[in-house]
Amino acid sequence: MSNIAGKAYAMNVITPIRWYTTWLNKLIFWVALKKPSTLSGLITLSLIHYARWVIIGKNQFPHVHVDQPKEELRYSYMLFFSNFNGSWDQYVDSFTFAIPSGLDMFWKWNIRYPHSVALTPFHKYIQYNQLETAHYYSAYPLAASNDIKAAKKLKSMLIAFDQQWHDAPDEQFQKQYNTLLRGLQHDMGEMRPTPIVSMSAAQVEKRHARDLRKAKQEKVEAMEGPQHG
Amino acid sequence: MGNISGNAYALTVLAPIREGHVDERAYSSLVRDHLENWNLLPNSPMAQVPQTYLCRYFVLDDVYIESLPGASALDTYSDFLPVVPNGVRLGVLPAHDHLKSKYLVFSCNFHGDLDTYLHAMWTAISTEIKDVWGYCYGFDQVTNAEEFAAYVKKCQLPAALFFVGSNDDPLEEQLKALYLKQEFSKFAVESQGLPTALLKKKYQEFIARVAPTNLSGPSWTPGQYSLPKAQDKQQEAAL
Amino acid sequence: MTTVLDLMDIQGDVVRPYGRFGFPVARYVFFNIRDGAAARAFVAEIAAQVTTAATWDQGPNPIPRPQATTNIAFTYQGLKQLELPRESLIGFPAEFAMGMKQRKDILGDDGPSSPEYWDPIWRANREKDRNKDVHFFISINGQSQEFIEQRYQSLLALVAKYSHAITLLTGHRGNDGAEDLPYQDVHAIVENGQITAKEHFGYTDGIGDPYFEGLADPKERILGRGKQMADGTWAPLATGEFVLGHIDEAQEYPPAPKPNLLSRNGTYMVYRKLHENVASFDQFLERESQNYPGGKELLAAKFVGRWRDNGAPLVSAPDAESKKAWDARFNANAGNEAAQDHMLSNFTYDDDMSGAKCPFSAHIRRINPRASLEFKQGDNPGAMVANPGAFDTPGALANRRRILRRGLPYGDAKDRSTDRGNHGIVIMMLNADISRQFEFVQQQWINYGNDFKAANDKEILLGNHNKEYPSKAVIQVDPDSDQVPYFVRNIPRLVETRGGDYFFIPSLTALRMIAKGLIDPT
Repeated sequence: MSNIAGKAYAMNVITPIRWYTTWLNKLIFWVALKKPSTLSGLITLSLIHYARWVIIGKNQFPHVHVDQPKEELRYSYMLFFSNFNGSWDQYVDSFTFAIPSGLDMFWKWNIRYPHSVALTPFHKYIQYNQLETAHYYSAYPLAASNDIKAAKKLKSMLIAFDQQWHDAPDEQFQKQYNTLLRGLQHDMGEMRPTPIVSMSAAQVEKRHARDLRKAKQEKVEAMEGPQHG
Repeated sequence: MGNISGNAYALTVLAPIREGHVDERAYSSLVRDHLENWNLLPNSPMAQVPQTYLCRYFVLDDVYIESLPGASALDTYSDFLPVVPNGVRLGVLPAHDHLKSKYLVFSCNFHGDLDTYLHAMWTAISTEIKDVWGYCYGFDQVTNAEEFAAYVKKCQLPAALFFVGSNDDPLEEQLKALYLKQEFSKFAVESQGLPTALLKKKYQEFIARVAPTNLSGPSWTPGQYSLPKAQDKQQEAAL
Repeated sequence: MTTVLDLMDIQGDVVRPYGRFGFPVARYVFFNIRDGAAARAFVAEIAAQVTTAATWDQGPNPIPRPQATTNIAFTYQGLKQLELPRESLIGFPAEFAMGMKQRKDILGDDGPSSPEYWDPIWRANREKDRNKDVHFFISINGQSQEFIEQRYQSLLALVAKYSHAITLLTGHRGNDGAEDLPYQDVHAIVENGQITAKEHFGYTDGIGDPYFEGLADPKERILGRGKQMADGTWAPLATGEFVLGHIDEAQEYPPAPKPNLLSRNGTYMVYRKLHENVASFDQFLERESQNYPGGKELLAAKFVGRWRDNGAPLVSAPDAESKKAWDARFNANAGNEAAQDHMLSNFTYDDDMSGAKCPFSAHIRRINPRASLEFKQGDNPGAMVANPGAFDTPGALANRRRILRRGLPYGDAKDRSTDRGNHGIVIMMLNADISRQFEFVQQQWINYGNDFKAANDKEILLGNHNKEYPSKAVIQVDPDSDQVPYFVRNIPRLVETRGGDYFFIPSLTALRMIAKGLIDPT
């Protein structure tokens, strides 16, 4: 339950890297930023809301108080945070099938990274290095990343249409309205609560809903006194 | 700068948690407890923090020691030696690293400027912030928004790569857009086949109702996880 | 590099959709095991009759085409009853151990598809009475009903010998309100004395099985059935996607239970009985095609992605006119099965990235999108275009979600005025990984639409449409035309689950070892 917020799934991965290769990792990320085509596969997959990689040098863990012991680490660390749509399996599978070279590029030089093909060692590597989220929030649990993108496009096209054709004569209005619908023909799916992402998540949610309901009922009873038989 | 992509900001905070306990429960355990209690509330306190897209909290207990087999050149360079001295063989095994403190990790994606965001966060939920962050080193000195922002920046780490998959619009824009997508799709379906004059009339009524350019008009609310009419039915069905 | 499959070790139903190979009728029988040791002796006897994947009537010492085939498969509980060691059992995947009924939330078997409405045999399965659990499945496919009866009678005679050990389970619904039949009969639909490949909504079914390495099928069948490559050619899918013990598309052996001899050359089967609401379908089609510019048959084609009468793909014949031309070529190829199969299966969505020919919510596009998911927004707002090179291979997102489909329709729909008759299909889906293949397609592509930019819009034919959130589907149009997209509204639930479970189809080697109680993962 805590890794999921509606249609969004939170993944956190921490992996050690040799301190003397962190500059290489940073370089790779810098190149990816400068050359957007490197991220084309990621963009086409369209499963991510926001994702980030953070490199923490072995001496860079925040030290904010004299009482706090200073970290003495051999390795530097790479932290990966992703907000994506679908279940863990779907996400990792999609990436491994579609952009294995991209994955390899980002996790290169991480200690004992097994490369993304074959699948099972890569799955194991990610699972092994994963950290569970205690609390996860999405401002729009009903929306996948695709929905947000489609919504932006729809809003802008609807406003533009309205500004121009709101009071147009009938025939013109109809023609332009048809054009509007045609332009939005891939953006008008309706949003509902997600399909369940896993059996365990569904079970946790059911128990939670039941507990909420029970708590509500107890509150009501406390106020009104016990129900008459 | 790596944290910024357009108008979206990637805030990564690792705040060290103090060594100590209350009634045999470590501070880090209490922090986790508070966070998990947030999961039982009707909605996350972060829903009250303006411009928050998606965010998460967890407690980092320790780093992992990589015992899985290596595959990259640096892991296996000793393979080139025809005979591997025992010292070298042991040397390529991963070292055992440990953290001296546990960290409260806060990873947040939001719209806009960092200072504005942190000030607004304190203003909205300072009590909850103190509950969760109160066990961190030096947090007892944080008494107002200014000091909170300064503290967070001390614990902040820069992102090497921030990937924005959807967009960097203000939250109100995103929510309004989602609302319009939902409502307009319904409208388009319901009004299919209507004669033009009637269609135009219904359309104008629709626009008046949904007010597309008015961000403070009808919209989705931050953190909204159910659709209006089906909310109660959903809870019943889930039981 | 090419796998050579040991066809005599693999069961025949894995490589052959019998229904299209001259076996238009079948009977499915299910059993419960009370005495594991004695049941193993039964399995040993039946193993001698199991039909393998060996090619018939070929080579020296040819194996003749049988009049009827026999195949066998086991549920997790069945393998447990046969006393497979625990170490082997825990190697089976979680979803297989849970069984299909417990996975209903993932599969969307809710409302009228909930287990409470299933056939009695499936309702009672895995509930409180262990003696009602479905432990194994025997299928008899026949060249005619007569041969089925013969094989069935000899099976019953064998079962009678082991009546202390195994029970033939009853509880299948059938014609005329029958509720307690001892078997599920299926048969190809016959029209005008001809065996057809149709199902009860009128669609031509059973087209386009995946082509994988090691099949004895002719090479041309790879076109449209294998995986699409960036250079426009087709390659066979890796065997391990469909048969355990062989390398799969992820360049590894699919995770499988130990010992290797237990899983090698075996696979998983998802058995699902799907009732078809023929009256609802007819009324729905009638209603929605009232205002559809292309007319009723075109709209019916848009639901599935193929024209009803002969299965012509919409991608090749997007309107009435091109359909006429397609039909002419198709009929000219009468008798040439290979050429006709080519016309039916060999196509891509490369020229239909916007869905103007085959809508994004059409059945065949949802269950096998081919390379169409390597796409991005085009310049024209209503257009999607290919994004070549974005992925490792164009079909990267579809190649590991392919499924072998088996089975036939059941019942008849002579009275189309009601939904309540006995009519539907029994579909068996074979794959090496139930959750990655079948369950994924069911949950993410049939009952959900995000990968197709359709938010929660479901697949028209199989989606679990409900009244609480009325379903719609968008029928896309050519973005460069002046047409308007058409909405298919208030889609009723057209197909309802009436039962089923997850089975393991062992190889002949594994079957014999199971029978001898020799499975040992040490």
